[in-house]
Amino acid sequence: MFVLLRQLQRLRRDAALTAPPRRGSLALRHVDAGSCNACEHELTAAANPYYDLARHGLNVVASPRHADVLLVTGPVTARMREPLLKAYEAMPEPRTVAALGDCAMGCGVLGDAAALAPPLDELLPVAIRIPGCPPAPDVIAAHLLAHLHGEPPAA
Amino acid sequence: MSFARRDVAPAAWRAEVSDALADGWRFAGLWAEDAGLRAAFARHGERLLLAAPAARDSIVDLVPAAAWDEREAHDLHGLAFAGHEPLRALVDHGAPTPEWTVPVEGRDVFQVAVGPIHAGVIESGHFRFHVVGERVLHLDLRLFYKHRGLERAAQGRPVAEALPVVQRACGADAVANAIAFAHACEDATGQAATPALARARTLLAELERLYNHLNDLSAICAGVGFAPGTMAFAGLKERAMRLNATLTGHRFLFGAVRVGGSDLAIPAAAAAEARSVLGELRDETRRAWRELQFAGSVQERFDGVGVLELEDARRLGAVGPAARAAGVAIDARTDAPRLAYRDLVPALPPRADGDVAARVEVRGAELPVVFDLLDELLAEPLEPAATEPGGPARRDGLALVESPRGQTLCAVALREDGVVERVHLRTGSYANWPALAQTVPGNLLPDFPLINKSFELCYACADR
Repeated sequence: MFVLLRQLQRLRRDAALTAPPRRGSLALRHVDAGSCNACEHELTAAANPYYDLARHGLNVVASPRHADVLLVTGPVTARMREPLLKAYEAMPEPRTVAALGDCAMGCGVLGDAAALAPPLDELLPVAIRIPGCPPAPDVIAAHLLAHLHGEPPAA
Repeated sequence: MSFARRDVAPAAWRAEVSDALADGWRFAGLWAEDAGLRAAFARHGERLLLAAPAARDSIVDLVPAAAWDEREAHDLHGLAFAGHEPLRALVDHGAPTPEWTVPVEGRDVFQVAVGPIHAGVIESGHFRFHVVGERVLHLDLRLFYKHRGLERAAQGRPVAEALPVVQRACGADAVANAIAFAHACEDATGQAATPALARARTLLAELERLYNHLNDLSAICAGVGFAPGTMAFAGLKERAMRLNATLTGHRFLFGAVRVGGSDLAIPAAAAAEARSVLGELRDETRRAWRELQFAGSVQERFDGVGVLELEDARRLGAVGPAARAAGVAIDARTDAPRLAYRDLVPALPPRADGDVAARVEVRGAELPVVFDLLDELLAEPLEPAATEPGGPARRDGLALVESPRGQTLCAVALREDGVVERVHLRTGSYANWPALAQTVPGNLLPDFPLINKSFELCYACADR
């Protein structure tokens, strides 16, 4: 265990993450509405020691009832439409919807129309758009932080 | 490498399957095509395709591993299978709960329903546990929430346009899916891999295995709340993915495989640099792995949990690390003439007990093999490569590839102009989900996340 902890300590030093310049936090709830699993991998990676989203006050929470932001991945399958809308309804207001990745943004490449619901944009008010297939962890962080601090979306 | 095709009358379907099994053929998948039925089998480098113009009788009593395949063919393609009783809904979510669950009754029995949305960053799927207290009596899975109709979406497109669709059946097995599709298309068009092409694709497949195995160890540590292990292996995985981006321009290696050749170019200097990065990664992985082995409180959580018995692994057609952890020495890499594995011997864990501990150990045993392979593959620069003529062209193609989760089958039927008429993808995750469900009864409900992570199956490539 001590070797692991030392390895992590060294890693943190090498990654040289800076202390966040500003305060604030966002509680994130993720809903997979039919992704290929790559967006999930990158969102999980955003918590690894190289990015450590939590230092910016960005935390994934277990329930939509505790969430500020609904992070949606995937093109929205017909079967995930209802669970997705239920999760949104369960959130306290004010609430924000983020489309995480090209599929959720409606790139429309993947899937057969018969198996898909209308795109996320037509189901819920999308305020944050995080492009990429999949978006890398630092891109996810940049977009969420821009929203948190009321800045224009990251380039 | 090609396959033997046997056209079978519907009435002779069971007898043919029975004969094939008696001759030592191993079931590799069953699917609907042209209103008829196909089944694939493998045997030491040989492949067999049985084709019937219509479905009639079930083979689940002969091949329990075909249970999901028949249920899917029923739900998506309307085929009926006499003798498959009850034929529970699998992909069809319209059925009320009693029609897709196994009835479990008795004093103090109740159900715990979990998902489709889970508490962490996890894919969507529904688990219905029948429990008494904390003890699980039975687990019913309901997946296919993520069913995107990818096979249908790929059909009617030229192979080059169908590839990105098939590849994204699963982000984490994108290379394996893409290679399986490319091999199937090349099989159908009578193309063989040159040594250079085989080397490029093998490199990509092993880069994918590396980051996945590191990811799995991180996830397993998370399954028991061992944060130092979770973060150490997550850090190692991150470095592996950054190497992917350096070598191919994409962290998940998307777009690095194409049908009919490879555009991957790694000059000598870049290959040497990659070897040195991999050397460091190897040392640190070894250190982290040793630490994990000496973390007694963690190891005790692994022992004897979620046991996949050897007999069940064989019966249910388990594949990949999960099967090898149960003592079934199958690995599609040992039987891959289109790839550059040569004399690979499947790595078995020291004790193939089929429990979580054995599934952890099998990753530990495979990682050094992956590092060895990568080092060897990067010993020379890689240049763009193409296929060469290698056999007769025909309508059908069949391929088996070992993804990080196990054997993935891809079957295609191509039109003469190269448009995909039918594609079927049966991934390692799809093969292993029924085996996973089998290991859960008798365990405590709070151990399920650990059991689940020890298989680390993908929902996306099962649902498609």
